[in-house]
Amino acid sequence: MTDPAVTDPAGAVAAALERTIGPTVVARGAAVRGAGVRDGVVTLEVTGSPGAVLPLAARIETLVRAAAPGITAVRLVAPGSGPGEPAAPPPGEDLAAAARRILDAEVNPAIAAHRGHVTVDGAAQGWIRIRLEGGCQGCSLAEVTVRQGIEPLLRARLPGMTGLADVTDHEAGSDPFFSPEKR
Amino acid sequence: MTAVRDGPRVLLLVPARTYRAADFLAAAARMGLDLVVGSDGALPLGGGPVISVRSGDPDASAALIAARCGPVAAVVAADTPMLPLAAAVAERMGLPHNPPEAVLNATDKARQRRRWAAAGVAQPGFEIVPAAAPDGVIGGAAAAVGFPCVVKAVSLSASQGVLRAGDPAGAVAAARRIRQVLAPRDEPLLVEAYLPGPELSIDGLLSRGELTVTAVFDKPHAPDGPTFEETLLVSPSRLAPRVLAAAIGTAGQAARALGLTTGPVHAELRLGDRGGRPAMLELAARCIGGLCSRVLRFPGGRTMEELVLANALGQAVPGPGPGRPCGVYMLPVPRPGVLRAVEGRAAAAAVPGVTGLTITIPVGQRVLPLPDGDRYLGFIFAEGGDQRAVETALTAARDRLRVLID
Repeated sequence: MTDPAVTDPAGAVAAALERTIGPTVVARGAAVRGAGVRDGVVTLEVTGSPGAVLPLAARIETLVRAAAPGITAVRLVAPGSGPGEPAAPPPGEDLAAAARRILDAEVNPAIAAHRGHVTVDGAAQGWIRIRLEGGCQGCSLAEVTVRQGIEPLLRARLPGMTGLADVTDHEAGSDPFFSPEKR
Repeated sequence: MTAVRDGPRVLLLVPARTYRAADFLAAAARMGLDLVVGSDGALPLGGGPVISVRSGDPDASAALIAARCGPVAAVVAADTPMLPLAAAVAERMGLPHNPPEAVLNATDKARQRRRWAAAGVAQPGFEIVPAAAPDGVIGGAAAAVGFPCVVKAVSLSASQGVLRAGDPAGAVAAARRIRQVLAPRDEPLLVEAYLPGPELSIDGLLSRGELTVTAVFDKPHAPDGPTFEETLLVSPSRLAPRVLAAAIGTAGQAARALGLTTGPVHAELRLGDRGGRPAMLELAARCIGGLCSRVLRFPGGRTMEELVLANALGQAVPGPGPGRPCGVYMLPVPRPGVLRAVEGRAAAAAVPGVTGLTITIPVGQRVLPLPDGDRYLGFIFAEGGDQRAVETALTAARDRLRVLID
């Protein structure tokens, strides 16, 4: 009898995600799902708050490789990135520095109105990691700021960008501009 | 490379103080929607479109949106404060929507009770006392519905401004206390009979007035007063199919009686001491509150927010899938003060079956318990082989937390 994890690695990965780590990722405010498998590399699409997923990356890779032994590596990408090669920063340009320059010029002056500030934590394989501070840290509208403001702005300016990860510890925010209430 | 946003254009109305923004944005991203956000708090940053609106002025905001938004395929309110604006905008745009009056009916407990009474929907006996009514009127209303009774503010939710009373003097004291919560404004109060018995919540989506149930939660630790903290929610329901069908029928009847036709509803019911006839406690024109929806999964791995958006786009939505039993523990604020720490989080998260733990009030903030407060400390999520295992995991995790307030 053929092992389904060998004949259908994508299915095995999807089942493993759904069965095990998927609920944890969702509870952290994000979601992850399989986008494809090529040459032993599985591509997982991350939506929501990638910063909630990246700390789990090693655990996800261990899980996926256990579920489908033919898998040799796991890539986390933004929706639509597909199973292609990772995007690289433009030659000669540091992606993190470029993002920092854009944010300082176009975003930080605006979000200062809400006592907020955004810094670039770093960049790797086309992913830019940002950290929200001040009034943005723990704000109930932080995700709107990131996904409807910062991310499309950076994508428009930085073609080499693969995705944006908010690595802020929002639970540690002590002075959010807006706090959620149950309604 | 750009994010894939080649789906329909949807207007999402997001109030400033909500738990729901992140989950709706994640759902929209997963569905590839071209999102326009209208908000009374978010800052337009020049990336994706953000329109500044005022939820308290639906007409002016609807006009602004009509001028700036362009055509959209659907309008969705992420949370209660945006419901009137969503109805007004959708009406202007000719999109499926709840009549604005139906939204008002759903956000005012006095209007709810009157509409349900007129339609013969099962509910507790009630009296409505006007704002600033003298003590004698309140005591008389309480005596009319019988004791114990429950006194409620008509405009609040999440059990804020709700107190049980055992006699006329207790009802008068409860009304005074609730008016302190409402101050400086005042409003009519609802005085209704207390219904003992099992409690459940029903979530569903309306399309042309037809209700598709998406989730039913039992509330194993439903409180009996004097305050009414919601804590433990476990799904799917363990109620007998006959009882469950009656409860769902009552919820659908209640939604229609309010005039609701479109979008999510969250109904809360009690069954009576002997698991008898279901009776409506409240109904809101939104899905389950807080972060509770995060525990739910639907066929294809879809979330509740994806279903809400799909429903708004006129797409068919599935009912509950054959997923594992799951549950949420909403952590109430135990006493007033300044939150100093929530200790034991790692131990709580390590309880087998627990899939997540989120604390939603920052350390250092002042917290208020019910009937004053409008926030929960956080949420614990769990899954298990059966509902009892879920309940055990959630309560064990809660017992490992130590909330420090001074």
